[in-house]
Order: sequence, then C-alpha cells, then structure tokens
Amino acid sequence: MVFNSLTFVVFFACVLGLHSLPFSWTTKKINLLIASYLFYAAWNPPFVILLWVSTVVDWYAAQGLVKARRERTRHAWMLLSVIANLGMLGYFKYGQFLLDNFTSLMSAIGIAYHPAHYDIVLPVGISFYTFATMSYTLDVYLRRAAPAQNLLDYALFVTFFPHLVAGPIMRPTELVPQFAQPRRATGDQLRFGLALMTLGLFNKVVLADSLLSRVAERVYDSDKIPGALDAWAATLAFSGQIFCDFAGYSTTAIGAALCLGFAMPDNFRFPYAAVGFSDFWRRWHITLSSWLRDYLYIPLGGNRHGARRAYAALMATMLLGGLWHGANWTFVAWGGLHGLYLAVERALRARFANYRPSPLVFVLLGLLTYTLVNVTWVFFRAKTFGKAWVVLRGMAGQNAAAKPILATFSLISVAAVVGGLVLTHWLMRARTLESVVARTPAAAVCVVWALMAFAIIIAQGAGNAFIYFQF
Amino acid sequence: MPSSISSSEALVGVPDHAGESAPNRYARRTAADRPGVAQPVPERPVPAQPWGRILLGTVLLLALLVAGWEEYWRAYGVSPGNTNTYGLWAIQRRRIDAGEGNATVLAGASRLYFDVQLPVWERLDGRRPIQLSFEGTSPLTTVEDLAADANFTGRLVIAVEPDLFFSGYQYRAGAIRYAKKESPSQRVGQWLSMRLIEPYLAFDDPDYALESVLARQPWPQRPGLQSHTRVRKLAETEADRNTHLWSKLETDPQYREMARSIWRQDFEPSPDDPSPAEALKIEKEQIERMAKAVAQLGAHGVKVLFVRMPSNGEYLAFENREFPRARTWDALLASTRAPGIHFEDYRQLQGYYLPEWSHIAGSQAERFTAALYDIIRRDFWGPGASGSADKAQAAK
Repeated sequence: MVFNSLTFVVFFACVLGLHSLPFSWTTKKINLLIASYLFYAAWNPPFVILLWVSTVVDWYAAQGLVKARRERTRHAWMLLSVIANLGMLGYFKYGQFLLDNFTSLMSAIGIAYHPAHYDIVLPVGISFYTFATMSYTLDVYLRRAAPAQNLLDYALFVTFFPHLVAGPIMRPTELVPQFAQPRRATGDQLRFGLALMTLGLFNKVVLADSLLSRVAERVYDSDKIPGALDAWAATLAFSGQIFCDFAGYSTTAIGAALCLGFAMPDNFRFPYAAVGFSDFWRRWHITLSSWLRDYLYIPLGGNRHGARRAYAALMATMLLGGLWHGANWTFVAWGGLHGLYLAVERALRARFANYRPSPLVFVLLGLLTYTLVNVTWVFFRAKTFGKAWVVLRGMAGQNAAAKPILATFSLISVAAVVGGLVLTHWLMRARTLESVVARTPAAAVCVVWALMAFAIIIAQGAGNAFIYFQF
Repeated sequence: MPSSISSSEALVGVPDHAGESAPNRYARRTAADRPGVAQPVPERPVPAQPWGRILLGTVLLLALLVAGWEEYWRAYGVSPGNTNTYGLWAIQRRRIDAGEGNATVLAGASRLYFDVQLPVWERLDGRRPIQLSFEGTSPLTTVEDLAADANFTGRLVIAVEPDLFFSGYQYRAGAIRYAKKESPSQRVGQWLSMRLIEPYLAFDDPDYALESVLARQPWPQRPGLQSHTRVRKLAETEADRNTHLWSKLETDPQYREMARSIWRQDFEPSPDDPSPAEALKIEKEQIERMAKAVAQLGAHGVKVLFVRMPSNGEYLAFENREFPRARTWDALLASTRAPGIHFEDYRQLQGYYLPEWSHIAGSQAERFTAALYDIIRRDFWGPGASGSADKAQAAK
C-alpha cells in the first residue's frame, strides 16, 4: 500500500496501537513482521514469496559464510546470494528488456527472431529489498558485520515496512541492532514522527502530484513540440516532482519508523544546493549512492589503482546505477551523463587543486550543477531518446515549429514551487531540519504543520504511486 | 568491525569548496561520509520543542481549517456524495463476474450516466441495471471488454453521444485497466473512503481539489495559447453510480451559463482537431470496432440496443453539423445490425429541460427514464417486442 492512502492511515493506526500494547518484545517484532508482509501483500499477495526467497537465501548464505573455513567456500556462499538476488531482479526487471534487445540485435543482422510474449509483472520495490538483503551477505562476507542473532530480527530487517519498497536502503548494521532491545517511541518521538510524515506527504501529495506532475506530463507525454520556455518549465517541474516525490517518501518512511521508536538514515541532504557532482551524489539518494560506492565502485578498484582504473570504475558504477533505475537505455544514458560529469569534475579537481572559488562563483557553480542535473533529468523522464532529443532541442531554443503548451498557471506553479525548493535547499545546505525546527517558535511550527496537513487534505490526492516504486 | 578501506575513498574524492570545512559542509554524517565501513545505527534526534502543545494546537487549527473549507463549499451548494472514481466503477464491473452476468448493463458517456435513474428502472423492470457509463468517454472499450467476457450474457444499452462516440475520445480511459489490476489496498481504500470520507465531506470532489481551484483562477492568458476551461462539477453520484445532473445547473443561471460556455469551447475548431479526412477515418474505425464487438456479444447471447440520448440548443446544432445522422448514427446501425432508439424519433423522449443543452435536468430524469424504459420494453425487449429496428420504427 502507498503511504498517501486511506488504507495506510488505518493500517498505521492499527500498527501503532498494537505496538503500544504490553506484549513481549518478541511478540511486538512478530506483529511488525506480519504487518510488513501485509503492507507488501496489499499490492500483489503472491509476490510476498519473493520476499521470503530473498530473506531465506541471504540468511542461510550468511550462516554459511560464518561457518565456512575455506576462502573458496566463503566465495561460493557469497556468489550464491549475489546470483539468487540478481537473478530474481534480472528476471523480473530486465527479462523483457534483454529479450527485446536480443530481438533487435538479431533483426539488425538479418535474423527474424520472434520470441514468445512474456507478460512479466515487476514486483514493487524489488530493486530496494534485493539491495538491502545483498548488503547483509556482502557485509558478512567482507567481515564488516556479524550475522544477525536470529531469523526474526533478520526477516524484520528485510521486510520492515517503512523502508521496504522505496528505501532508504538500509544496511543490516543500521537496523538489526535496533531490534535487539525493546523499543517504543517516546511521546516526543511519536509527535515529531507524525510531523515528519506530514512533511513527507505534503511534498508528495501537494507539491509533486498536485502542482508539478501535470506540468511535466503535458510536455513529456504529448506529441507537441515544446519551445524553450515549455521545455525548461517541464524539466524543472520534473526536477521538483522527482525530489518531492522521493524525498517525500523517504521523510514519511523516516517519520513512520520514528513513531515506532526506530531510527532510519537520511536519504537526502538538500541536493539542489550541491556544488559539483560528487557533492550532488552525497546529497541525493544517499543510501543508493553509498551502496553503489561500497559494493560496486570500491570492489571495482575505486581510487586505489590509478586514475584510469578509477575513471573506468566510476563510469561502470554510474551506468549500472542508471540501469538500476529502470530497464531502458534512457536510464543508462542518465547514469552515463552523471558518470561523465563526475569524471570531468575529477579531472578539473586534479588540474585546479588549489582553486578556491569566491562566494559568487561558488553560487554560480551551484546553479551550473543544478542546470546540468536538469539536463540528465530529460533522459530520466523521457520514455524514448526521440522524445528526449525533442525536449533538449526545445531547451536549447532549437524547435522552430514550437507552439506554447503550458498555461500561465502551470508556469507560475513551476516558478513558485521549484524556485522555492532551490532557495530552501541553499538556505538549508549546511543545516538539518531538526536544527531549524528547534530554533523556530512553537507557534510557527504549529501553524506550518497544520497548513501542510490542511493542504494534503484539500489536495485530495488520488493515491498515486511514488515514482521510485517502479524501480 | 575494522574496515580495510580508507575513509577517503568516496565516489569521486571529497568535495572541497571555498570556505567550507568538512564538518560545515554536511550538518549530519550519513553513509555518504563513511565509505567502505559497517554503517552505524543512524542518529534521529528530536528537536527540543513542546511537542504535546504543538500537536494539540495543530489538531485544533487543522480542524478549524477543514471545517471552514467544508462550510465554504456547502454554502456554494455542494453536498456530500460519492466520488466517481475508477474504484467505484470497478465495484459495478465486478458484479457481472459475481453472479449478475445476465443483468442489464448501461454503457455510455455522461448522458446515459446522468439521465437514466437506476431506481426508476428497477421499479419498472424488477432488477437494477449495472451502470458502467463514464463521463466524457466513448463506451467502445467498455463494450469491447464486455464482449470479451463470457460471463456477460444479459442486455446491453449503449448510448451514442456523437462527439465522443464517433471520435473515440476517452476522458476516463483507465477504468478497465484499473478494474483488472486493482490491488487489495486500493479496494480497501475505496471501501474506507465510501464509509469514512465521502458521506461526510462535501469538498471531497475533484472539482474542489486544491489544484483545480488554483488552476481556474483568472490567471493572465499566455499569448499564443488557446484557453480551455475544464469541465466543472455537473452531477451528483450515489454508491451504485446512480447519478443525476446537479440541481445547481437548474437553479443558478450563472453556473448554467458557465457550463454552456465550457461546451462552446468544443464547438469551435481547435488546432488539436484531426483533419476532416482523419476524422472520417476515426469515425469509420469506431463503427467497425463497435460492429465487431456487437457481433461477439451476440455470439454469447447478449441483446444490444443503441440509444441516441437527447441534446438540444447549440450542442445539438454542433452535433448535427459535425456528426450528421446519416453519416454516423445510420451507418452505425447498418454496420452493427443492432436496433437503436434515436430521441428525435420518439415524442416521449423530447421536450425535456436540458439546462446546458446536453443533460436532462435532475428533476426530469426520472420521467425520462420511465419513458425510455417503456419504449425499450414495448418495442425491443419486452414480451412480444420484435427486437427489430424496422418493426419498432413502424410501431411508433
């Protein structure tokens, strides 16, 4: 079920109620586990089996890793986990993509290959929970972490509903220790957790769905040729939409976990105030970028084997990171562009190691970063390269046949929401939300919280799925 | 556990900006700042604030705001009712596969949806029909979906609202897909909404959603862009999708005139319109697809009846101009070989008050339903009815 639904409101009220009853800690954990399976089954009940498979495989793989005496056996257990998880991900997420590309390749060399049609349904959140379970086995394999003490704690780590379908991608060392001792939110944790959930849902329901998504749709999902204003407005709208959608999900998830007494990590740190792309990736989808860094970039050699190897590892990481988002070459292009940006930045940093920009140049570099990030969003949002080129040409003012597409209200929405968003990120770039809330008068917190909740209610969201569910 | 990885191993070095030392750059450390190590339990501090009082104040202020918003829309004339969601449609669609396959089904656009009153039909027929019409939407895909469903063996009334039917336009195109893929969570959400929200809150209507309200403010017109006002609330819906035209259309001349002006937008040519040749091709395709679906329905014993629902005023003039009867309605009946009722052929179906030229006033919809049902029973589906259009024509 989605956070922005009436079903979730009732579900969460029941979970909070159960969690506050005087059961033993083990019973409470079993309740949370069952609730998490229900949360997942509410989309498509049979797919719970995939969760079980992923849970059981990694549980036994980690046990095998600990018991193994020979390095080769440890390797085998690790490979079993990786193959099982990536195999499942590959079949459900990339099966049709691989088949389509194979068919195109055959066709290109003159072989008419007509495979049977497979109607593979993508299990929601599979990319997130396979990465979470893999990090468990890999951390044990890399001797960074000890395996969980019992299956219940481990299964709850994999399945815990706040992070299950769209992250933040938790590491076992972040969550499993929290299941060791009884936890119940204090009154203030519960209230602040509810405030965070309101903030997250405001981002999703009001800003992303009500004010920005249609603007992007009108340009990206239509056959009309956009001019510079429409192409930029739609792309900026998408940049705001995807942040508000995904950061909104993460904030709601963090708030939901806090209401139950658990801590989840930040997934965003005001990324549109990033200066440079390494800074951007330490602010955007932090739990994915750090996962890719720890389990892909570093094992590929990272920075330790010279510049050439580092560039290759970087590009491979970002291309695969792009593909992680979806089975489409446009996502690969998105990842490739980010890889290119990071590589250029790395080269410039090496060339101008002693350069320190003035404050004005610093802000200009930040705006340049945001502009270039927007160029990558075109490939992320466009369903085809054809559409991406049309929008990019529009952004460059090269669509001679363009006619206005977006109404004044749409343009004003984008200017107000995205302008406000970027400004907020700059004001908050070296702060935390908590530090700002702590310094704000209580009456103002109260008014802002009530206004956000009111806006959520009157926005009448249609329970739209979060964008990242499809990944 | 110790790590063998250097802490400086970031994805691309460590960013180093003017005047920013590492501790200032990020206010709180995350996994991004700890490469290659086991990540610790995260920090999640609660800001020092009187959260109990804040929550109380928030709840009170929120209650005041919601009550004010509700009062505002009630004063405007809105009352609580069911929202015409895909979930509501799916409940009706499921009835066919849950033992009511031999029912009478109504498939059309807003005219069949608003003008036919299910309680009246039920009183006359003994059974309540299943309402599967959707506003602004050609019924073709619904008919095709029913044709592919062997469980459906009943009777089917298909409404022809020319500008939608022959253009294939679908404002609510996702209902069938939604009904087939509806998740347990969505079903529960629909059930909860019908019991906890919709009976109590008048503002719970897409026309009063924040974005709709903001979008219809008098923003300056963008040069070169043809303005297009979205259709406003026209009807009130009940739990089984029995629907009637909203009384405000009858009682509020300003609102009625606004509704007419919204229709007028479609009477003028638009740059988005297909060329005349394309439009004719689309018309032909719609008729061919409908004929195929009707043949399929006939194969599993379904009786099909087309109905051209009443319109008048400028709307009728537009329809007659763009979709002349001989080219559209007559061609449809000839191609499908199904019987049809055209409102212009029956006195009983004429003379109603259509406030905005397209839908019968709510106060007259019951009389219209009875009249339509009588014709159907007498000429088509009742005992002794021929079921043939020719004979029906002769019997008038």
